[in-house]
Amino acid sequence: MRSVDVARTALGNTFRSKLRTALTVVAIVIGSFTLTLTSGLGAGVNKYVDTVVGGFGDSSQMFVMSSGASDAEPTEGPAEYDPEAAASSGGMFGGGPGAGVLTDSDIETLEGLDHVTSVDPMVFVSPDYIETPDGEQYAMELDVPANAVGLEMEAGEAPSEDGMELSIPSEWLTIFDTEDPEAVIGETVEIGISNVTGEQSTVEAEIVGVSEEALSGIGSTPMPSRELNQELNDLSMEGYQGQAENAYAMAVLDVDNLEANEQTVKNELIDESLLGLTVEDQIGAVQGVIDAVSWVLSGFGFIALLAASFGIVNTLLMSVQERTREIGLMKALGMSSGKVFGLFSMEAVVIGLMGSVIGVVLGLGAGLLGNAWLTGDGGPLGEVAGLTLFAVDPLSILGITALIVGIAFLAGTLPAARAAKKDPIEALRYE
Amino acid sequence: MSTPVLETENLVKVYGKGATRFDALKGLTFEIHEGESVAIVGKSGSGKSTLMHLLALLDEPTSGVVALGGEPVTALKPKKVSQLRNDTFGFVFQQFFLNPNQTVLENITLPLKIAGMGKSERNRRGMEVLEQLDMADKAKNKATNLSGGQKQRACIARALVNKPTVLFADEPTGNLDTATSEIVEDILFGLHRDHGITLVVVTHDADLAAKCQRRLMMQDGEIVTEEHGVKGVQA
Repeated sequence: MRSVDVARTALGNTFRSKLRTALTVVAIVIGSFTLTLTSGLGAGVNKYVDTVVGGFGDSSQMFVMSSGASDAEPTEGPAEYDPEAAASSGGMFGGGPGAGVLTDSDIETLEGLDHVTSVDPMVFVSPDYIETPDGEQYAMELDVPANAVGLEMEAGEAPSEDGMELSIPSEWLTIFDTEDPEAVIGETVEIGISNVTGEQSTVEAEIVGVSEEALSGIGSTPMPSRELNQELNDLSMEGYQGQAENAYAMAVLDVDNLEANEQTVKNELIDESLLGLTVEDQIGAVQGVIDAVSWVLSGFGFIALLAASFGIVNTLLMSVQERTREIGLMKALGMSSGKVFGLFSMEAVVIGLMGSVIGVVLGLGAGLLGNAWLTGDGGPLGEVAGLTLFAVDPLSILGITALIVGIAFLAGTLPAARAAKKDPIEALRYE
Repeated sequence: MSTPVLETENLVKVYGKGATRFDALKGLTFEIHEGESVAIVGKSGSGKSTLMHLLALLDEPTSGVVALGGEPVTALKPKKVSQLRNDTFGFVFQQFFLNPNQTVLENITLPLKIAGMGKSERNRRGMEVLEQLDMADKAKNKATNLSGGQKQRACIARALVNKPTVLFADEPTGNLDTATSEIVEDILFGLHRDHGITLVVVTHDADLAAKCQRRLMMQDGEIVTEEHGVKGVQA
């Protein structure tokens, strides 16, 4: 018997007892639906985490912080004075014990490291207020420009490297008495900042974009361009007596071929009492949790599938019993036991394939519709910009289908072996 | 006569062991020549069906040899034996064993499908045989919609479709009324006469047996008498 005939006959046989086949298929559909939904959920949330974390920099970057006092020997009683450590905590915003800052000498060290192509120190500035064209003043905090990549724009563009630009969060539209984000683009605001001696000065900046708040928090505060940020920093340092010691919260390194050199650079940083984290390090933990959750959920789907596989065994055993004489006839007419086995296991595969395809289609439909409803405009989670709860991952869909067909085949082997073992004489005599 | 198409030597078949031991066949040795028509006649329990199963390679003897065209088949692998059955034998059973969900054409081309023949060639050969048996108009009918005689004709068509050397008929008229029995008998003997097919009929019906050239009368696992020549044809 040709394989194409085996497949065609198996397909025909599955439709002989429609209700029974349908019920078995339903059981598999439930399993495949669940698996599609859970894997899509995992993929969707992970994709979202990727985009969110993408906001912290692209993948060739490494974030360096001072490991500060965290690696200092714990001492009993007052710690001895250490000028280096004191410098760390003596910056603009002494981070308290444990959180050190990077000094200019640290930055120089970083620049000297192998594989490091560029070093971008990040400064936090704390302006006093923002003044609208109407003259109203509002308190404000600024984000760091390095986060600009993670901005989700509602209108306009993210602030560029150069130029006195900034973006504002959409919630801030109220201070301009408008609801239309396009209307504020091009407006000029004044930002006031105090220097070390308490004198206030102002900088003018143009609004180039309106951002939505992403789950990471990026976009919830105004985002300055690099130049604006630097300008504000310079203003805040004016009047500093003596040698100004810059302090940076962290520095962004561009590492040449990060994958290969990651560990080398990290080790060098540790020697310098610095701590380097890649984007991967930062998202790894979050994605680990999401993966764990989606695996647990998939586990339930898998259990449903296992239960369904016994349905296949049962259905096919009944079918083998009912068709004893037919099997006997086929064997008498010269069909080999192997082909009889193939025919019945193919029927199991057909059932599995139908169940998985229907389940996957339903799962995708439910996932995509549910995602559209939950995260769309006016949905319960619609406020969270860029949120995806469900993503289509073709590989995992193929994987699910293959898994189900595999399980169906395994389930079919018992009835198929029973059919193949039938003695044609006995089978033909069977009433 | 020509070379024996089927021959047996000291054929023994034993079922069960010890107290339940039953000797179904007690050492049979005979030959069936090509183009012969042979009836194996006996009451139920005489061993005639067992003998047919052994001749048709559906079962293996406890001891002794079955040879097909001079070649002993006992040593062959099951797959090879299946293929031999498919190539050289046709079967007509008392029960029709037609698949009610399939058309007559699909039913009768089953042996060709098993042999691995392509669909169009299968259907061509199937239609040929159906025409030969005046069944061409029923080709597309579901097997379940046929009368008893038509069903048995479909079975004969299925037995003929692979152009077998030997046609085994196990009580071919057992389920049919007298009139249809005769039609079916005419077809079988017509095939034997006109196409030289070797016919092996297993029956307890003396009338049917009488139409064969040779009759092997069986009783308790042994051939008690052997008769030659077609007896006077009864109405």
